[in-house]
Amino acid sequence: MKNDLIPSSPLTVNWAITNKCNFACNHCYSRSDTKEELDLEMVFTILDTLSRAKVFSINFGGGEPLLRKNLLEIARRASDLGFAVSMNSNGYLIDRDMAGKLKEAGFAKVGISIDSPQPDIHDNFRGIKGSHARAIEALKYLKGAGIETSISSVICKINIEDVDGLVEMALSSEVANINFHNFKCSGLGFANKDILDLTPLEWRDFYIRAIELRKKVNGLRISLEDPIISQLGETGEETLVKGSVCGKLSLNIKSNGDITPCGFIPIVVGNICTDDLMKIWNESPVLHKMRNKEPQGKCLSCDSKSDCLGGCTARTLALTGDMNNPDPHCWKNES
Amino acid sequence: MKIFRNPDAMWREEDESRDQANQGLETGEDVADIGTSIILHSGKMHSLNILGTEIWKLLDGKSLDEIVASLQEGFEVEEEVLREDIKTFLSEMKEEGLIYEE
Repeated sequence: MKNDLIPSSPLTVNWAITNKCNFACNHCYSRSDTKEELDLEMVFTILDTLSRAKVFSINFGGGEPLLRKNLLEIARRASDLGFAVSMNSNGYLIDRDMAGKLKEAGFAKVGISIDSPQPDIHDNFRGIKGSHARAIEALKYLKGAGIETSISSVICKINIEDVDGLVEMALSSEVANINFHNFKCSGLGFANKDILDLTPLEWRDFYIRAIELRKKVNGLRISLEDPIISQLGETGEETLVKGSVCGKLSLNIKSNGDITPCGFIPIVVGNICTDDLMKIWNESPVLHKMRNKEPQGKCLSCDSKSDCLGGCTARTLALTGDMNNPDPHCWKNES
Repeated sequence: MKIFRNPDAMWREEDESRDQANQGLETGEDVADIGTSIILHSGKMHSLNILGTEIWKLLDGKSLDEIVASLQEGFEVEEEVLREDIKTFLSEMKEEGLIYEE
């Protein structure tokens, strides 16, 4: 299962610029991650490295990126170097003033995590009372400041019955995009998978509904990042690669500079401070394996395998220990 | 009519692929399927082959005639064939919102 085109360097870098957080989410993948942070000088050096590698965009995450000292200065530098700069935030610290500062710092897009249209459900899930209202307010302030906004929702047991409600919330918030993230079993997500994750047949039903909504709803992009939807005739035409994009189009940098294929795969393939980025990208055995997965089990006889390439590598690795296994969310042959 | 790249579209050349395509051109190989640049726009990615890349790089306000004249120097192909290829390419680019005309 090989991809036709692997770019000569990552197109996007997701960067957990800090792991500090003011929330206590039930599915957090980074709670137990290192608290070590790089100093400003090293951050600027890394930005230069990414610029030389012709990376298009940097998406800051964490943790809560707004808790990183000098975030605005870092974003300004990144923007001046020509990167498209974005971030994922819980929105709690974004008021009108902060939205203006983010715009000035060069943020082109900001995604806010909201997991339910019901405030009490979201607040309980995120562990902070009032967080839903603050997130909705943040979207308003960001839009007012001229920043493109999106909502990120992790699909799981708490919101599976309210997918239409999530879309309505996105429409009323006038965001450009709603990202339906599949549930990843990393960090607390792994510990809480039995109470939060869906069954394969529930995933199938969710994607059928989400695809219907995507075709029906105007003025809102509904992003579904999951390769297993190729079984439903969705070919992922928006990307140049098949299967997971992690390690093929993007890389993840942790707060201490460690590089992983994505934020949900805890395999460190190098460190951006000490190792050669291009050498990692071109020679890492882990990335090579991710780009050349060998179909196993039910994938062998699946008509969608050339598009799906075994599904989400992070999820498969976390739940089965072997990235070549079929995606545990896949509903093929399930009844 | 002047044609411009959409400034919101991010793009880059893939150096190794471009060198491979250039080498192929010299030895007369078919290089149409070698992607030598990548464009990212509105969450969608596009890969261009060497002819597409060369057209793309010229879209800084040049007219169709200027693009044809410029590319005829580098590609051994009849002018009318080249013109039709470029028109088809530009039409696809326009449909994707990657270029605009003034």
